[in-house]
Amino acid sequence: MTPWQQIWTIARLELGRVFFSKRSFWVYLLAIFPSVIFTGHAIDATLKARQWSGRGEKITAEVMNKLQTGMTDQEVLRLAGKPVTDFERTRRPRRREEDPDAEKQPEVRRYMMYFDGKRRVDLRFEDGKLVGRNTRDLLNFEEDRKVYAGMFQFFYLRLGVFFGCLGIFINLFRGEMLDRSLHFWFLAPVKREVLLLGKYCAGLIAASLIFGGGALLSFLAMALPQDPAELQTFWQTNGVEHAVWYVAAAMLGCVGYGSVFLAAGLLLKNPIAPAIVMLLWESMNGFLPDVMQKLSVLHYLQSICPVPVPLPSDMPTVMKMLLAPAAPSSAAVAVGGLLGVTALVLFAATQAVRRLEINYSTEA
Amino acid sequence: MAVYRRGYQRYEGALTNHFGRMMVIPRYSWERILSQRFVTILLVVSLFWPVLCAGFVYLANHTELWQGLGGGLKRFLAINGRFFAVFMNVQSTFALIMAAVAGPGLIAPDLVNNALPLYFSRPMTRQDYILSRLIVLLGILSLVTIVPGMLLFGMQVGIAGFDWFIQNWYLGAAIFFGFLLYIGVVSLVALTSSAYVKWRVVAGALVLAFFFLLTGAAEMVNHVFRVDWASALNPAYALNTVWAGMLDIDIPDDKPGVMECATFLLAISGGLLAALARKLRPVEVVR
Repeated sequence: MTPWQQIWTIARLELGRVFFSKRSFWVYLLAIFPSVIFTGHAIDATLKARQWSGRGEKITAEVMNKLQTGMTDQEVLRLAGKPVTDFERTRRPRRREEDPDAEKQPEVRRYMMYFDGKRRVDLRFEDGKLVGRNTRDLLNFEEDRKVYAGMFQFFYLRLGVFFGCLGIFINLFRGEMLDRSLHFWFLAPVKREVLLLGKYCAGLIAASLIFGGGALLSFLAMALPQDPAELQTFWQTNGVEHAVWYVAAAMLGCVGYGSVFLAAGLLLKNPIAPAIVMLLWESMNGFLPDVMQKLSVLHYLQSICPVPVPLPSDMPTVMKMLLAPAAPSSAAVAVGGLLGVTALVLFAATQAVRRLEINYSTEA
Repeated sequence: MAVYRRGYQRYEGALTNHFGRMMVIPRYSWERILSQRFVTILLVVSLFWPVLCAGFVYLANHTELWQGLGGGLKRFLAINGRFFAVFMNVQSTFALIMAAVAGPGLIAPDLVNNALPLYFSRPMTRQDYILSRLIVLLGILSLVTIVPGMLLFGMQVGIAGFDWFIQNWYLGAAIFFGFLLYIGVVSLVALTSSAYVKWRVVAGALVLAFFFLLTGAAEMVNHVFRVDWASALNPAYALNTVWAGMLDIDIPDDKPGVMECATFLLAISGGLLAALARKLRPVEVVR
């Protein structure tokens, strides 16, 4: 049997355990959670459009544009008719430092909402005057794509793939030690490096399929409920390309994080400490100097994501000043860099597994 | 009497008082947890921020040191609810990591080794057992939260005087009860993870994942549905909002308020307690 055949045999044996064990259940949940949310959004938009069309006046886009700040609530009601929602809220004023004994008058705020069949406008009144106006589409493809990009980079890669790989890859060796079953593998007539690669392949295939599939599913859940004309244009231009890059980013995330967590499971008795360090390192990635940003898995994954994520508008100015994302690497550099780092980490892991001695009594 | 004639006899002697019995578990657990090197390192690192804040308090109360440096600085150097909110935010991160390290080893070994019947055959109820485990975490997490927080508040009172205390006593109460609430929630998450996951390593990851993933999931729901109410499902946000209410800081109008967040925290704590009580039963299943 050649080493490659041995690797595949080990991977095949491990695959069943990774895919179908009870411990993998939560990994599936992590992977499909975004698609559930996007499907929920599509259902919610359909239901809301139906519900709001039957309540209040259905105003035209022209009337909606006429609603300007400074108008009184009565003027708005005369112009636009009965709103879809209309309620008041009394707000307790805060203690004022300059005059803590000043008499506190409760502030009454009124909120109204109108709907024109596609867009909603939220109006906020203070002392009977319109002071805030916010218009938004019920389904907006452009916006949804940005939301998807943000979700993919902030939730899926940083948390979903990260914790999913932590669970899958640490389980491969550390889990066997805790189960006191690793010696069975070590008794088999295979080199330990081959065993390590076999286990890594099993973890990688499972994680890539689960998270790559999850990324594709959520992308489809985001795109399919959109306006058919817009959707067709999107598929004809760069839709397929975007989908492919998102799936590739999720899979490469599994390659990178997987190797790190596999090595951590081998080298350390408690791999939680490096996991915490890595989580913090990846979280503060944007605040680090350019060179250091390139030492993280996330930098390369973000480089191949097709849509950049804009900074949140409510982010404090100081944070915006400190945040300096490094220029994204080219796709070739990103993929090559990730694979290179993975090869290095796996090489270190093979050295560690060669010297590994099992002492079950110290594991708990 | 011959040995073979000695049957079971109930102990009729005097019992140690209830609280004393409950404190046996924390006494041994604290010793074991504090002997871990990582916990010591974490304790030391977590004290850097309180020391910096103490320097800030000193500077804020010695106007002569920064006179003539502009009016903006006066606002920046004010010791108020906002200052203590930032302090509490930073310290709570350390407390979370500490809970992820110290919490999982509290219940999992007892379950794995079928040790619960040994505890419950003594004069100790399930409630006592859970409470004593909570006291373990309360003691450890207080070292990075309540203790430095109250010292900082005490320092400010000491420098600024009794008048400042009369006007701002609620800040001290907010630090104490705010941290107590935080410790309660984090400890329940850690103990439930420990009860349901037999591997300490995985249980530790689960504690972190609980907070990070719920934060991510809540933000995702907010952005996808274009709503703000999902922030209440983010334990970190919910705790921060309750703290903001206690510290008398403005809360954004369009986000969930103190009551919504407090209700969510109560619900989540109730759920975790129920899950814990369900798991901690002195039975042994023989297959």
